[in-house]
Amino acid sequence: MPLKPLDIYKLLPKKNCKECGDPTCLTFAMKLSGGKAKPEACPYLDDNAKTILGASTRPPVRRIRIGVGERALTVGEELVQFRHEKSFFHEPGIMIAVTDMMPAESIKKEVIFVRDWVLTRIGTDLRLNGIAVRSVSGSPEQFARAVGAVEEVADLPEVLMADDPLVMEAGLSVCGNYRPLIHAARLLQYREMCRLAKKYGCPLAIKADSLDSLAELSGLCVAEGVDHLVLDLSSPNLHALLNASTAVRQHAISRTTPALGYPVCIDTGLGGLSDASLIAGVTKFGSVLICDDLPGASRKALLVLRQNIYTDPQKPIQITPGLYRVGTPGRDSPVLLTVNFSLTFFTLQGYLEASRVPCFMLIVDTEGLSVLTAVASGKLQETVVRDAIGKYDLANEVSHRTLIIPGYSAPLSGRIEEITGWKVLVGPRDAADIAEFLEKEWKP
Amino acid sequence: MPTVTFLPSFRKTEVAQGSTILEAAQKAGFHMNVVCGGQGKCGKCTVMVRSGETEFDREKFGNFFSRDEAGEGACLSCQTRVMGDVRVLIPEGSLVQEQQILIDTPGVPVELDPAVWKYALSLLPPTLDDPSPDLSRLLWGIEKKGGPKEGAIYAPLEVIRQIPKVLRESGWKITATVALVPGGYRLINVEKGNTTSHCYGAAVDLGTTTVVVYLRSLIDGSIVGIGSNYNRQISCGEDILSRVNYAKRGGLGKLQSLATESINAALTTASNSAGIDRDDIYEVVVAGNTIMTHILMGIDPAYMIEEPYVPVVRRHLTTAARRVGLAVGENSGLFIFPAVSDFIGGDIIADILASGMTETNDISLLIDIGTNFEVVLGNRDWMFACAGAAGPALEGGEVLFGMRANPGAIEQVSLDLDTLEPSYRTIRNQKPKGLCGSGLIDLLAELLRACVIDRTGRINPMISHERIREGRQVPEFVVAWRDETSIGKEIVITENDIKALIMSKASILAACQTLMNQAGIERSAISRIYFSGAFGNYINKDHAIMIGLIPEVPVDRVITMGNGAIAGANIALLNRKKKRILDEIARKIAYIELNADPSFMDEYTGSCFLPHTDLSLFPGVERMLDQCRIRRVSP
Amino acid sequence: MGLTPLSEWSGQIGELVIGATRTDGGTRSHAVTIGGERDLPYIGIPPSGHIPRVAYELTDDPSLWQSAAIRTIGDRAHDPSDWAAFAEKELQPDLIRLYLSSTRRRGFSDLSQIGKTVEAVLQATKLPLIIEGSNDPALDSSVFRKIGEAAEGERVLLGTAESGRYRSAAAAAMAYGHSLIAQSPIDINLAKQLNILLRETGLPHDRIAIDPYTGALGYGFEYSYSVMERIRYSALKGDTDLAMPLISSAADSLTVKEVREAEGGDADQAAVAWEMYSMLPATLAGASIVCVRHPLSIAGLKSAIASLWNGQKSVGV
Ligand code: SF4
Ligand code: FES
Repeated sequence: MPLKPLDIYKLLPKKNCKECGDPTCLTFAMKLSGGKAKPEACPYLDDNAKTILGASTRPPVRRIRIGVGERALTVGEELVQFRHEKSFFHEPGIMIAVTDMMPAESIKKEVIFVRDWVLTRIGTDLRLNGIAVRSVSGSPEQFARAVGAVEEVADLPEVLMADDPLVMEAGLSVCGNYRPLIHAARLLQYREMCRLAKKYGCPLAIKADSLDSLAELSGLCVAEGVDHLVLDLSSPNLHALLNASTAVRQHAISRTTPALGYPVCIDTGLGGLSDASLIAGVTKFGSVLICDDLPGASRKALLVLRQNIYTDPQKPIQITPGLYRVGTPGRDSPVLLTVNFSLTFFTLQGYLEASRVPCFMLIVDTEGLSVLTAVASGKLQETVVRDAIGKYDLANEVSHRTLIIPGYSAPLSGRIEEITGWKVLVGPRDAADIAEFLEKEWKP
Repeated sequence: MPTVTFLPSFRKTEVAQGSTILEAAQKAGFHMNVVCGGQGKCGKCTVMVRSGETEFDREKFGNFFSRDEAGEGACLSCQTRVMGDVRVLIPEGSLVQEQQILIDTPGVPVELDPAVWKYALSLLPPTLDDPSPDLSRLLWGIEKKGGPKEGAIYAPLEVIRQIPKVLRESGWKITATVALVPGGYRLINVEKGNTTSHCYGAAVDLGTTTVVVYLRSLIDGSIVGIGSNYNRQISCGEDILSRVNYAKRGGLGKLQSLATESINAALTTASNSAGIDRDDIYEVVVAGNTIMTHILMGIDPAYMIEEPYVPVVRRHLTTAARRVGLAVGENSGLFIFPAVSDFIGGDIIADILASGMTETNDISLLIDIGTNFEVVLGNRDWMFACAGAAGPALEGGEVLFGMRANPGAIEQVSLDLDTLEPSYRTIRNQKPKGLCGSGLIDLLAELLRACVIDRTGRINPMISHERIREGRQVPEFVVAWRDETSIGKEIVITENDIKALIMSKASILAACQTLMNQAGIERSAISRIYFSGAFGNYINKDHAIMIGLIPEVPVDRVITMGNGAIAGANIALLNRKKKRILDEIARKIAYIELNADPSFMDEYTGSCFLPHTDLSLFPGVERMLDQCRIRRVSP
Repeated sequence: MGLTPLSEWSGQIGELVIGATRTDGGTRSHAVTIGGERDLPYIGIPPSGHIPRVAYELTDDPSLWQSAAIRTIGDRAHDPSDWAAFAEKELQPDLIRLYLSSTRRRGFSDLSQIGKTVEAVLQATKLPLIIEGSNDPALDSSVFRKIGEAAEGERVLLGTAESGRYRSAAAAAMAYGHSLIAQSPIDINLAKQLNILLRETGLPHDRIAIDPYTGALGYGFEYSYSVMERIRYSALKGDTDLAMPLISSAADSLTVKEVREAEGGDADQAAVAWEMYSMLPATLAGASIVCVRHPLSIAGLKSAIASLWNGQKSVGV
């Protein structure tokens, strides 16, 4: 839990000297508390303050980068167990697995697909992240050939999956300079794997039978000089997986067990429930998700779920204000006013589409606040409505002069009528009731 | 000349035939309510003509009065001409109410220590043996009287130019006025004879809708006159944003002169009633919101309403009052309160000063309520502040039968928990016209206590009672039957009214909670809650807590301070040392932007409940409500 | 000793029983108990409380139903009792959620038909039932009374009370021994407020399931997900006004563009994927009952839940 501004303020020198760039120590404390400033900005902190503030601002989960270039994957740096506490930061990477038994052409096809496939939603491109190469044959040459096939068509982040250090080294000799994730070191061969990780400067996944031995192994690797680690928690037993990933996150963010302060990797191809493991991985603390086969519908749903879970809950997604059409509305179609909070917009839009009544949605700028809060904070005011009517030339779009406003903005109805001269109908509070409302109340 | 006799005091005055009753009343020393400036628009200057000949266009202004009132001779004093001897009753509501102000804030008495001094000097005329120049002679005289050292007083040219004549014509008996300004002591006036008893200052609250002026004697601190006035900028837009937009369209000059006109008019009212000369006002102290003070000083406020919302100045400002057009003494100074941000202006700094919250280690919460509200939390060491829009419901706006706190407004209500029969009190005991803020708060609390409404404000449809019924759109509760009211209709409160009230109170409580969260303090740590704003005068504190308008604290910790802005301006006028701490107060405040604070949204929905979704924040209220519920289910 | 999750909680989710067997005066083949958790969902060996359940949603007015959901149901969709019998036998959900959508049509007045439908469905299936009534304050009182009466003794879960219209549904639940779904629009405060309001009508907390409303995957699901997590978190921290089991439905997820516009076999896959990717996360956030409409979603969800619950492929009732 971040410290409160006043708690931080009590640790500050209270000189109000402005050297941190803030007018007073108190405002600086507010920024620190919100993670918007670094404690180093104040040159006068005493040691006690430095330790306390330093500790509360350094991310407890190590940042790891896999791959190079534009598509490189960054994971880690997470701070919380629940996204509502702050936010989850780095989306987990979804790595599509190929094996060294596959013909080069099939590998390339898969890689090109991962490279090029994109789903565009709310102005964002959602993509798969990289390729995992499984050593199934056990032959170093064959593994190197498979890695080579991947490299031939794309420079995507890679996970090299081989337990035999010899096989691993063969793969690394092909792509080691592009920072693949080495998967995975175990108690038996970790020294060798650490040597490779150091030699190529690559992050290293580690794997053990229990969390305790995983923590021990993590300590051993650090002792070998490798501290860019990823913890593999894969299990065909989803109960075990979820309990382990929850424990890792809790131990990490509470700094109880710093040896577990690394991102988590899950191979979802183990138990035959790959959808379920992917879901558990996305929602519950996975950072690198390896999967064998992802049918189209699952792929889309997965990326959408990931986008949902990793949006910043404190920053509502905004819709560009404007006049939106549902169906092909005519001059006597209803006009529904609402705010530019994405959830409000999409929910209403969904129900309007379902109602099959063509209409206009007049979206006004409330800086992404919901109706309730926009009314409370004054972001939704009659002037905003008037300006929007003018700006989007509503008077020329429709022949009537009636505006349907959200139920929660009912207190504004009088003032809107007064200032715009439009008749105001107060709509339902719940978008789900809109079809019925239109059916009962709407007459142009 | 006709004589006008005012009832009930029988004060008399003579005026020329054709003068207005308003002029007569002002001449007789009454502080009339002239909110629209005597244009016949506001209806606040109503009087009852009891006998005698007057001229008043009843047709044109008829809609201000009910039939009853017209029958009693009600007319607008600003629009009524005196044609012969008349007797006129001035209802209390037509007089400027002296606002409750906390000049003596609890535990912090204000010591009289103004920044202006008058010295009556009797100087020896120069001789050949004593040829020192006039000015030195004068300054020495001041020093000898215990004033500042001769070398420490700066004398501006305009004053020096007057000295030789004044000295000689007065036979070397003069009064010199010295003010302490940021540059040091300054000789601001010399007059003939002894005028030391004529030394006044003006404290001004420059509000968006009203201007209030207090004239104070700087000799003994007494209040000599009060004036109030509509802010005439209203003709350029009701609310603050429309004013800024008006300024943007090239109207800054006009707004500036309207601001000074409004202050001048109030100054005139106050000085006329006190019978003093405005030239004897030597200092003007103005507290106002940031945009108002910017406009008064002729500083463009346009950038304040755009991201990143920065004012041009935050620190206090001083200049010569005449430079901005204020009609006071030639060299009199003007002091403008500092501000914190676009939303936390000098009016709030004045509130803080008046509350005395910065003079203790105990933590106070200060709430200034109007259509917008500001909340400040803190103590000597630190302060957080925020501002937001509460909507007008708490002031009686947007409520079907809501009204301002004018005569006829129901200002107190209680319900009999068994019969649901209300008993109420109206302002000046007139027949009820509507409900004002304090009445609405009472009603909300009582309806909740009687379980007529649930905690979201919905009227329980299962109760069958003649006062609870389905209104035109939503259910409603009848507060006063038609034959009780003066408006020929029933006075009801609807479910929509109740919701608007809950939303208003929720923004305020949520702001308080957000500041408390930021500071990480519990309500038990709050030693005082100060209410500022006219609204806070009459409020029932228990009910304000019961509906969750403010956090639950022992009720004796809640203090209503009336118009805190004018109180603070008075304090700064009377005691110059208080002026010095204002910038420090302003600087200490950390402003919290509620919209950028993710917890505000949560606090707001949590507060849209009576008293709050987290019942543990209101343990006393909960105990009380539990009893009410038990009582209801087992009568 | 091994490293395990660290969280410590003081609260517990209340238990809610749906369905009454013969011994309890009903005719269900078994009762379903949900809630009872003392930790986060699926956490602990074994996890605390009861396993999340899958409900299958059907309606008495299929014209309002998503086409993806009824394509494979065929004509049975026109007879809710047929539909329910088929569902119990072939799809094997844990519960059936019957929407009396006909009450939401304009001009609805046929109250007796409502009673008949409820009785017929109770005949046709022995699974515990969730029954959704009207959503119009003008109808609520008679509709809920009718449902309550028709299902008396069967301990159904009645839906839905909202903050603007909760008294009729609560009164019916209390009068006829049923439980109630308390629905609020994606906000922890509003959820809690409704629970307080219901408590104050006299409905005990162990007869309430919270429906914090589930936005469509991709269109607001994240808000619902976090609200569910927050409700569960607050309850475990000891807030008794939030310590009721949660119910979540994928109904909105079937209306999204990606599902609506998919065609042929893709349409089924899309519907199943969207339900899976919203309802399994819902259980991870704390939902005790998840509701789906596509027949092919049930088996997958049940086995995923079973594996999360104890690592097994399935869990017996
Ligand atoms: S630099 Fe340090 S001491 Fe100076 S104002 Fe900033 S926080 Fe305070
Ligand atoms: S009507 Fe406004 S002063 Fe007379």
